[in-house]
Amino acid sequence: MVKLNLFDIQGFVARGYSFPCACYLLAEILDYKAGREFVGRVTEQVTSAERWEQGKPPSTLNIGFTWTGFRKLGLPDATLLSFPDEFYQGMSSRNRILGDVGKNDPANWEPVWKEDIHLWLAVYAQTADELAKRSDEMGRLMQETGGARLLYTQQASAIYIDGKPTSKEHFGYTDGFGNPDYEGVERDTVPGQGKLMPDGKWAPLATGEFILGYPDEARELPACPVPYLLGINGTYMVYRKLHENVASFRKYLDEKGKQYPGGKEKLAAKFVGRWLDGTPLELSPDRPDPDLVRDPSRNTNFTYRHDSDGARCPLGSHIRRANPRDAFGFNGELINRRRIMRRGLPYGEYTPADQPASDEDEHGIIFMALGASLYRQFEFMQQQWIEYGNDARLGNDKDPLAACHSAGSDKFVVQGTDDPRNTPFVCSGLPNFVETRGGEYFFLPSLTALRLIADGAVDPR
Amino acid sequence: MANLNGNMYGLTILSPILDDPKIKISHDTALRMYLQNMHRHERSPFAKVAGTHICRLVVMDDVVYVGSPAKEEHLKSKYLIFNSNLYGGVDAYLEEMARKIPDVADDIWSHCVGYPGVTDPRAFAAYMKKCQIETTFFFADVNDKTVEQTLKALQTKVEFTAFVEENQGRSPAELQREFAAFWERMRKSPPPDGGAKELTKGQAARA
Repeated sequence: MVKLNLFDIQGFVARGYSFPCACYLLAEILDYKAGREFVGRVTEQVTSAERWEQGKPPSTLNIGFTWTGFRKLGLPDATLLSFPDEFYQGMSSRNRILGDVGKNDPANWEPVWKEDIHLWLAVYAQTADELAKRSDEMGRLMQETGGARLLYTQQASAIYIDGKPTSKEHFGYTDGFGNPDYEGVERDTVPGQGKLMPDGKWAPLATGEFILGYPDEARELPACPVPYLLGINGTYMVYRKLHENVASFRKYLDEKGKQYPGGKEKLAAKFVGRWLDGTPLELSPDRPDPDLVRDPSRNTNFTYRHDSDGARCPLGSHIRRANPRDAFGFNGELINRRRIMRRGLPYGEYTPADQPASDEDEHGIIFMALGASLYRQFEFMQQQWIEYGNDARLGNDKDPLAACHSAGSDKFVVQGTDDPRNTPFVCSGLPNFVETRGGEYFFLPSLTALRLIADGAVDPR
Repeated sequence: MANLNGNMYGLTILSPILDDPKIKISHDTALRMYLQNMHRHERSPFAKVAGTHICRLVVMDDVVYVGSPAKEEHLKSKYLIFNSNLYGGVDAYLEEMARKIPDVADDIWSHCVGYPGVTDPRAFAAYMKKCQIETTFFFADVNDKTVEQTLKALQTKVEFTAFVEENQGRSPAELQREFAAFWERMRKSPPPDGGAKELTKGQAARA
């Protein structure tokens, strides 16, 4: 049994906080001495993964570094050279792998992404006031120590409908189902998450898929920078700002929904593999089922073995691509090393379905994903499953919703049956529903590693 | 027969490259320059040789022993590797090469030892076969179709996808009428030219 050191792992790594609002600060380290002081002062406040016996705190604080940030903080060369290539290169240099081309090319990203981003601070809070308080405190700490300069502040918040926070994103889908379970987490495995076992049951994935220092699915310890102490209980994070073209999405659905015999709402469900309320198509192909969505023992508990032709959940739908479960055979074993732990929140104003939407307004998702290998997990998934279709036997078709489409020539095929309400349908001329506005790779060290960095005591020998 | 995978023939030819210390630009360098400037895809000369699914030319300087303890060893000469996945007989294929692209064959293999030229296609084929080695672990993505059939199938797939998209939702009678017309159009249209990197909608209609 894996025992996680919850006092050492950052809380953001171990679990999603499910706080309604967040603020992500991107900063540059100005000087390695003052920078280390800043890191030390932040570390005193960093939220660990220890259990909240007294209930949720008003806010949380977490920190991550880019490779250049580590260099600026004076980490030794032997340590810097021990990080994986993709972390060293950074997200914008990996754009051809990730499909960030054309309009999504890093040249078109927000200006901040062309600056030297060294660190990422995440504040989550229960209220807007608490959020502002904690974020301002970080700004003051930067000035006080003279160690860092704030480059950018990204606000994010759950979308509020009727005054209540929801798990909706701007297109109207309910998001945030199905984060993989992994060993060491103190809760029962949710059926449908983790990995599929030969007996059809679900078990947690090996901890080393998500946190360094523990055995992974290959029963090996994941590659770790030196010294080991710097890496253990830490992990890598993908941060992507994904703009959503809400008007284009609605217009496209309106147009194609008129032609699709199942109607607009069902077509939207076919795009994702879930109805807007989150009901999995695989379990309820004809209608949303609110009871099913509310039941965590059922809402992500399915496989594709009885739907190999995609008549219920299309082969190219978003959730079937991002987590193919058993769709590629071998009882799902091919995908256990390609999972990611998702975090993230929407940003920007939500436009209710009955109000006119725009593409230009500032709204989208801050997509964050954690994993022990950026290359093996996130980058593979993005390149092979989101931006390409060969594994799903879909040639070069891409994810209808999340991929970068080339000049309206991409299509999405909805597989179907003889049922007149579920006929096959081809959605052609897909526009870019989602655009990359920026992103970077970060490393989220353990509390011990943060103290080593702050003390200038990272010693690779 | 490792050279065969289904009906696909995996041809591997290693032709020793001439070694002449007296000339200004060595044969292997001249060959590399020529190959690097050769057209690809639909403008590749090999697209004119019926039966070519895919082919590849590589100049091999030497092979390096990978293992322990390290060992220095060398080939007797530099080689030109010619790989081709082809449909049909090898003799007919090579002879057609001599007939369809004689200038290209000359430009390439005149840098090789014992090259007889292309004036006698059978002699050219015999020369090439003399340099042939067995293709082992041969994988073919398509192993039961001619090049024409493959091109036609790809074209049909592209055109049919477009047909479905353009006609979805029509009444059964309209659909049947449109499909009959589509079928006739596809049946009559010649296969697209070989070598294209990607087939796009409308090539059949233009053809």
